[in-house]
Amino acid sequence: MKKSIFSKTFVYTVLITYAVITFIPFLWAILSSFKPLEEIVSGITFLPENFTLNNYIQIFSKEPLFLRWMFNSVFITTCMVILNLIFNSMAGYALARIKFAGRNFWFMLILVVLMIPFQVTLIPSYLILKMFGWLNTYQGLIIPGMVNATFIFMMRQFFLNFPKELEEAAQMDGLSRLGTFFRIVMPLAKPALAAQAVFIFMASWNDFMRPLIIMSDEAMFTLTLGLNTFKGQYISFWNLIMAASTVMTIPSLLIYAFFNRYFIKGVTFTGGK
Amino acid sequence: MDMKINKMLATVGVTGMLLGGVLAGCSSDSSSGSGGDGDKTVVELAGWGASPEEKELLQQTLEAFEEEHPNIEVKHEVVSDQYMDVMKTRLVGGEAADVFYLDASEAPGLIDTGVLEPLNDYVTDDFDLEDFQEPLLNAFKSDGTYYGFPKDFSTLSLFYNKEAFEEAGLEGPPETWEELQEYAEKLTVDEDGDGQPERFGLGISQELARQFYKFQPHGGQVTDSEGKAAFAGDNAIAALQPVVDMYTDEKTAGLPSDVGTDWGGDMFGQGKAAMVIEGNWTIPFLENNFQQLEFTTTELPTINGEKATAAFTVAYVMNKESEVKDASWELISYLTGKDGMEIWTSKGFALPTRQSVAEELGYADDPLRGSFIEGSAYAQPWQAGKNLPTIMNNFDNQFSSALLGEQSLEEALKKAQETANKEIGSAN
Amino acid sequence: MEPARKVDHSDDRKKAQSKGINRGNKTKKRMTKSFKEGFSGYIFMSPTIFTIGVFVVIPILYALYLSFNDVQLLGGIGYEFIGLENYTRTIDDERAIIALKNTAEYVLIVVPIQTILALLLAAALNSNIRGKNAFRIIFFLPTVTSSAVLTIIFMWMYNPDGLINNFLKFLSLPTYNWLADPNIALKSIMIMNIWATAPFFMVIYLAAMQDISDSVYEAATIDGANWWQKFIYITVPILKPVTFFVVVMGLIGTFQLFDQSYIFSGGSGGPNNSTLTIVLLIYQYAFKSLDMGYASALAVGLAIIIMVVTLIQKKFFGEEKLHD
Repeated sequence: MKKSIFSKTFVYTVLITYAVITFIPFLWAILSSFKPLEEIVSGITFLPENFTLNNYIQIFSKEPLFLRWMFNSVFITTCMVILNLIFNSMAGYALARIKFAGRNFWFMLILVVLMIPFQVTLIPSYLILKMFGWLNTYQGLIIPGMVNATFIFMMRQFFLNFPKELEEAAQMDGLSRLGTFFRIVMPLAKPALAAQAVFIFMASWNDFMRPLIIMSDEAMFTLTLGLNTFKGQYISFWNLIMAASTVMTIPSLLIYAFFNRYFIKGVTFTGGK
Repeated sequence: MDMKINKMLATVGVTGMLLGGVLAGCSSDSSSGSGGDGDKTVVELAGWGASPEEKELLQQTLEAFEEEHPNIEVKHEVVSDQYMDVMKTRLVGGEAADVFYLDASEAPGLIDTGVLEPLNDYVTDDFDLEDFQEPLLNAFKSDGTYYGFPKDFSTLSLFYNKEAFEEAGLEGPPETWEELQEYAEKLTVDEDGDGQPERFGLGISQELARQFYKFQPHGGQVTDSEGKAAFAGDNAIAALQPVVDMYTDEKTAGLPSDVGTDWGGDMFGQGKAAMVIEGNWTIPFLENNFQQLEFTTTELPTINGEKATAAFTVAYVMNKESEVKDASWELISYLTGKDGMEIWTSKGFALPTRQSVAEELGYADDPLRGSFIEGSAYAQPWQAGKNLPTIMNNFDNQFSSALLGEQSLEEALKKAQETANKEIGSAN
Repeated sequence: MEPARKVDHSDDRKKAQSKGINRGNKTKKRMTKSFKEGFSGYIFMSPTIFTIGVFVVIPILYALYLSFNDVQLLGGIGYEFIGLENYTRTIDDERAIIALKNTAEYVLIVVPIQTILALLLAAALNSNIRGKNAFRIIFFLPTVTSSAVLTIIFMWMYNPDGLINNFLKFLSLPTYNWLADPNIALKSIMIMNIWATAPFFMVIYLAAMQDISDSVYEAATIDGANWWQKFIYITVPILKPVTFFVVVMGLIGTFQLFDQSYIFSGGSGGPNNSTLTIVLLIYQYAFKSLDMGYASALAVGLAIIIMVVTLIQKKFFGEEKLHD
């Protein structure tokens, strides 16, 4: 009993310390978004002395395309999340569960793909998109990103631990492989899918380099690109950057909070209950 | 299993290479796709991002152009970051805008690849080439051919904090670099005496772009006639040693990062440096963000008895693959012509490259901007052949290590030059 | 390590048994079944094969082809086959060697720390404590924030008179010039990245831990195992496939360090090449010097290094379950 109290205290200490370490930088950044520029650059104040909402008003009112950028980001990201969830899970499932000729080859290929830095493929990919006429279009961003080797790999590792019995029962009942996958496996893979959805959302939402190269029309910019235009060549509006960063981070946080409930124990299927 | 993989890889590999070849073939001869909208010719103009005020000013200039040329529509694209990387990618893909910005430092490299349209045949007497400041015009010239015309420029001037000068009992700006060193000592404030001054006399920047102009008064140079690095020698040491001494021994000069700022203007504005050597762009920054600051500008102190400063300039250039070259030229000639340039430089964010426009706007008499115009008479454009990116990178790295006292200036320069030339050698 | 193996063996045995049973029941249907399996396998894989084929494999092969050529991309694409010259050039390239050294140091320090930290945090969160959700959301903040924003925040905190130095001063500890000192700059990036990446892997561990059946732990509890014993002898071995994933992804991610070096050093890899990484060097050659042939050769070299390290680590982990 004593041991258990000791370990509990230890666990709490670790968690709280780490939470503080994690939270402080963000708190500071968010607080800074409510400060006028002079206060930010004139040294360290933690709490805003001259509280202002001006930074937020400025980014929304001075930039007429802001809402369009927001729409672009939401649209592209939504498509990416849905397509990735389906396709990555299908591939990960096949690699973990279905025996087909060339399975090892495809798995190795996916590992190899992961190992090549993307800067190298940037120019060739650009040429391919140009050939398809997909530059400066939504599909130019969405289709090349609709599967992701990282998450295929992740889903494969998840499905390796997946209980077989349910699938076997379903197949006995005459469900096809695809039927089993969509009706039985996917609903039971919620924790992994939730994790994947959050990661893909963030990767797409925060992607900078690809939209930078693909989108040339300002109206097609994503939020990340759009916000970057706030940064002039030499002039640093830290107040606006911090406000814009806060605006950018909030949707990701909401998405995470939403999917977070799927991580919670009880939805899982392997437990005795 | 291994055999199988090898076989499959080989098949996929051959297919891929064939496709790659096809792709490469396609990309070089396809069109840039800027079509007409009704009767209007659409010209695409690409540039990097700027402050909202500058963006609005450019918009005004473009509207004035469209009013004068009702048959041309300008589509303005902003590349918000890593401008040259994105432009190069688009040029490779044949998707670059018809007209775009080009910094003088990148010009020789890009001209060398042959992607820019030579502009000599377009120039008429009306365009009045003589009116441009010659060094700035020449920055975009190669073998007698013009590939672009400078839209604006800035030189470097000395910014100084008037209050700090008064406190230190200093009158008037330093005239020579030696004097500047003395001033810096008087202006440095280290109240808590921890050896880390709260305010440096001089804010410096370790980049080659901010140091190279000091070589010439000592008889040195950045590159030789073959475009290789050629700065390691007594000339450059004489030019740079004062800065290193001020930074390492005298502790009267500091880098922006030493006091937690991003760049010299920020450092100066926050009162963490009493003097900085910065460009014209610093003026609106200080006026907008540090209204209480009392400052002025003056020409840079002389180096080895000679006047010297750097000039940074940007041109409008034309894509050789453009399908609307005549309309593109109309745009370039308007933006770099007297009318367009007058609108664009009217607010003083950047300075006009045409003498007539500078006179018209009266910048020579402007208390803050006059020194920049004075400087343009003897300024050295920031440009040194097509290998400058490689040279710059190696210099910046080694020079910063000399500033930190990890090696002597002589060693640093030698190492920077050797590494740069080795890289240049194996690339060619 | 010993108990881990034990659990694994028993696991394998069980599997072998169940496979045996399956085989016995279904020998007749085997042929058609394997065909059907193969077919459905490719249906499941088809979106992946298309997308990765067109947008990843072909570009990679193209890059591979480039690595054997002297490439001119601008002003009309031109190749000149030069064999292995791009590869032999690396030996003489002083900056490539510095980049490799920096990258290796970075990988060796960051991967173990972030993996262990992620596992411990996940285990702590998965135990029976209050306020789980609040912790989880806070821990996850770095992962939901774009790396550009994180880097900006950290550049700020790393200021000589920024938050971190002020805190160190408050504790009367020595302060550092986090970004300008060549001896410290890479370590500053390490600290930031461990901080930012550990929660990402923590979520993966956490999701996997949710799948571990309670009954396994109940049995151990009856046997009198404490929290730590359960963690070491049950949780860690069961999570092996996930750990394999986390370590491989950690290796790949750290070997490909780019964003932070790029932003911190303004693309130069300075001060004094101390934050120069292989990918940053590749980027510099590809875009600053437009030397795609050499850049591709460096990238292929990096990919080979990563593959070798992954294989070594696979051996270290024991046989990973390829055939389930």
